[in-house]
Amino acid sequence: MTRIETERLVLRAPLAEDSAALVGFFASERAAFVGGPLALGLAWRHVATICGHWMLKGFGPFILTDRHTGESLGLTGPWAPGDRPEPEVVWALWDHAPKGQGLAQEGAQAALDHLFTGLRWESVVCYIDPSNAPSIALARRLGGVEDPHAARPAPTDLVFRHAPNSGARP
Amino acid sequence: MTLRTERLVLRQPSAAHTQAVVAFFGSERARFVGGPMDTGKAWRAFASFAGHWTLRGFGSFVAETASDARPVALVGPWFPGDWPEREIGWSLLAAQDEGQGYATEAARACLAHAFGPLGWDTAVSYIHKDNHASCAVAERLGARLEPKTAAPGADDLVYRHTAPGVQP
Repeated sequence: MTRIETERLVLRAPLAEDSAALVGFFASERAAFVGGPLALGLAWRHVATICGHWMLKGFGPFILTDRHTGESLGLTGPWAPGDRPEPEVVWALWDHAPKGQGLAQEGAQAALDHLFTGLRWESVVCYIDPSNAPSIALARRLGGVEDPHAARPAPTDLVFRHAPNSGARP
Repeated sequence: MTLRTERLVLRQPSAAHTQAVVAFFGSERARFVGGPMDTGKAWRAFASFAGHWTLRGFGSFVAETASDARPVALVGPWFPGDWPEREIGWSLLAAQDEGQGYATEAARACLAHAFGPLGWDTAVSYIHKDNHASCAVAERLGARLEPKTAAPGADDLVYRHTAPGVQP
């Protein structure tokens, strides 16, 4: 399984030990922009779907972990379950993860680099609710450009498109 | 993890099984297990069966014909986070394979696996009361109906499987 190291993070595939953090996230208000909060049983099944995405496709969302402590902080990476118009890159930080330190950006940038150089994708989108200002800001910092013409899962979603060398902005 | 029976090979879910299992969840045959689903939901359902292995260390198998590796059933241990107890489930994927005893043969191997290597001493099967073909499989496997045991759905029957040598 792919493992990616950055300055402060390790990105790796989800394991059984991540299930409490993942299920807790999808059952929480923090998951409001990604289909949640889900009832515990549905959250468990959604987490199983994320793990199964890796088994069926060979890639999927990574768990973001603290490089030094191994603590799980969030998830980021490709998400292509087949009922989205295009493959997507997703990101989320758990409730207890430090905010405002650029951890989501550092992880998502590493995931994008992996998509473009490792998996040789030529384009990837993210679908973002227009009221999710932090996520919109992150998409822009990562070099995403709004694509007003792209198909989207919900008519109100914004679509940001990332391409190789689209240039992360500081 | 692979199980073998006289006519079947039971394997962990993989990409090679996607088309057959997604077609099943999209069909009327899945009406007793939450279907028929659109293609996206059907893919997510199959992925949740695959990912169950990551989260639990065990899970359901896809039973293939030993002769030509054709997927015929989704069968075996199933214990998602909202289930009252560990279950042994079975779904025959396509009508063309009815009447061959494949579900019974595969489920029997899964029970032996659960009561052997997995160390379970009991298991249930939750079956919709109108799913007569599946009730017949449970009865052929020697399971006993438990009218007072909790089930996930209001219309589910609970069949109890007991490990060899354990008092029911």
